[in-house]
Amino acid sequence: MSRIGAVIRREFVERVRRKSFWVMAMLGPVFFAAVFLAPILLSQAGGVKRLVVVDRTTTAFGAAVAARLDSTRGFIVVRRIAGAPGVEDSLTGEVGARRIEGFLLVSDSLLEAGTAEYRASNVSSLEDIELLRETLRRLTENARLERAGVDPGVVARAQLRVSLRTNKITRGRTTGESAGQSFALAYFMMVTLYIALLLYGVQVMGSVIDEKASRIVEVLVSSVRPFQLLFGKVLGVGAVSLLQFLIWGVAGRVLLGRRAALMSHMTGRGQDIGQVFQVPHLSIATACVFVTFFLGGFFLYSAMFAAVAAMSSTEQEARQSQAPVTVLIMIAFFSSFATLANPESALSVTLSLVPFTAPIATPARWAAGNLTWIEVVSSFVLLVVGTVAVTWIAARIYRVGILMTGKRPNIRELVRWVRAA
Amino acid sequence: MPSPAPVLVLDRVTKRFAGHTAVDDLSLSVPAGVIYGLLGPNGAGKTTTIRMIMDILGPDAGVLRLFGEPGGGRRHSERIGYLPEERGLYRKMRVLDVLVFLGEMKGMDRRRARQRAGDWLARLGLAEWRLRRVDELSKGMQQKVQFISTVLHDPDLVILDEPFSGLDPVNTQVMKDVVLDLHGRGKTILFSTHIMEQAEKLCEQLCIIARGRKLVDGALSDIKRTHGGHHLVIGFDGSTGSAAQVFADKSLVSRVDNYRQYAELELATGADPQRILAGLVSSGARLSRFELQEPSLHKIFIDLVGPETTGGGALRE
Repeated sequence: MSRIGAVIRREFVERVRRKSFWVMAMLGPVFFAAVFLAPILLSQAGGVKRLVVVDRTTTAFGAAVAARLDSTRGFIVVRRIAGAPGVEDSLTGEVGARRIEGFLLVSDSLLEAGTAEYRASNVSSLEDIELLRETLRRLTENARLERAGVDPGVVARAQLRVSLRTNKITRGRTTGESAGQSFALAYFMMVTLYIALLLYGVQVMGSVIDEKASRIVEVLVSSVRPFQLLFGKVLGVGAVSLLQFLIWGVAGRVLLGRRAALMSHMTGRGQDIGQVFQVPHLSIATACVFVTFFLGGFFLYSAMFAAVAAMSSTEQEARQSQAPVTVLIMIAFFSSFATLANPESALSVTLSLVPFTAPIATPARWAAGNLTWIEVVSSFVLLVVGTVAVTWIAARIYRVGILMTGKRPNIRELVRWVRAA
Repeated sequence: MPSPAPVLVLDRVTKRFAGHTAVDDLSLSVPAGVIYGLLGPNGAGKTTTIRMIMDILGPDAGVLRLFGEPGGGRRHSERIGYLPEERGLYRKMRVLDVLVFLGEMKGMDRRRARQRAGDWLARLGLAEWRLRRVDELSKGMQQKVQFISTVLHDPDLVILDEPFSGLDPVNTQVMKDVVLDLHGRGKTILFSTHIMEQAEKLCEQLCIIARGRKLVDGALSDIKRTHGGHHLVIGFDGSTGSAAQVFADKSLVSRVDNYRQYAELELATGADPQRILAGLVSSGARLSRFELQEPSLHKIFIDLVGPETTGGGALRE
């Protein structure tokens, strides 16, 4: 019907024209990049540590430590000096003047008792400290084994690192996807769904309250049925959200395609950093599950937001009354973390069958676990049933509420609104 | 006056809300091409009646017929223009876009809506505001935009709920011109008001309701004839003589509003005004004015509705 078409077009065009839409379009990729890059960038935040090694050993071990540290990523040994008394004070002065970040005191006790001391401006970067400790431990271990007469070649062979490759099996096929990748994908989808459901649900609410507060709704419902108006509104806002996803998707693709260049630009390092940044594999099926459950959840929650708006007279009132709906979405989001840890648990299965949590839980389980199509379809069918039921109630509240002003209705009045034929 | 086929018929329509009956067994008929007034005090059920006509509310009992077909206005919305009492537009939208959208909601295609909106904006002096946002316009300009949205699709029936409330004098005139222009082109206009002076100037036919019930309906001239009684306006020039004694004669005067230098009398049934004139002259009163008058609609309204319902009435849903 052309009138519903006009409602859909108005919602769509007016929203896409607004600056806030384009701000979100740009902030989205920035936000997601931040979610993934932050841990990497944070670990790089200190940059390269310039160290002085104070060598109080009576052997060549101090020199070996200095050489190994210098070749370790993240550390540069500026110089190695003999441990004359009082040298700590002058080095502390150098740290204060920011010529170096710290100094390492090494003596024979490193080999004998395994003790050394590191003084630096920043000792809270656990990763740096761990790296330093690990480097010293290996050197000490080697030196002790060699001192005990073990062949250095044997030591080197014994210290082979174990690399555990993870590979996800999805629907009976090995996907080449690592544990990190599938976790990242599930996490990414959860965050996106959570934000989008809130963002666009609230937009439906704003649109309803806008028409109610300006009373223009009275003119509209004299031309279209209240349900048609609500339907057109939800479709229009839904179309805006899909456009937003499309923009985010394309922007994300471009960003990912250039991530190595981007990373090296941001960190000043080579492409080895790019390997830390795990790119989840996003298949067509996953995208379909994501969009389908988003739309299901969006219809479900925007119907509820519309009902909240219809019950309120002003935007402030609506914002105060939206808490129950917002809390439901938050429950859906936070409980879905359970599905990441154990996608097959009874809790996870329940979450993806309850319509209010399914929009976030099921895509998360899909990405993290091993869902069959039957499980996805049954979850979706229940979601549709729940959405139809909730929409039926919400539409009845909406129909009566949009013409009411003044006092907010109590539960008994709401029941009467829903029952009114 | 021969009355053409009615555009709108309400047949024993009733609407109840929790706790009270807003419209009670109301019947009326609006002939094509007339200006019809729906009059009543605040809370009489005017807005509820109009909302039922517009299909915004459904009646609990009774039948509505529009353009000869049973049912409310939604299916005829391309033939009906509606200006609600509480006004408002999309504040963040551009003026032209709002009008085009509201035109589309009335079944117009976009191009025609855009063209006619442009014409109307030019006619009401808002052409240079067409691409501005609604909230940049003054209140008066927004009211004009709202009139335009009501008549943009050239409706056959225009329903205006309290059209003059909150208008400045300039826009009141614009509104009257629009209404008279539509009437001149054969359109039917139904408007509600509680301001009788406007109704008296504009309406050919009317219906007075109070507490949801019809008190009287029909042509204005008929109502004046049957409900008015005979009214006499008397002006004194200084001396009133013993006029009060003449006014006290119940066989001549049934009611009197005596302002000392000016008095309005309602004649008793069958009383001869000449006897009052003779009585006044012989009582020594000096008269500047002695006029037999049709009663004002205002007076009929007060008499019918009674003073107790006119003041109150916060029953509006």
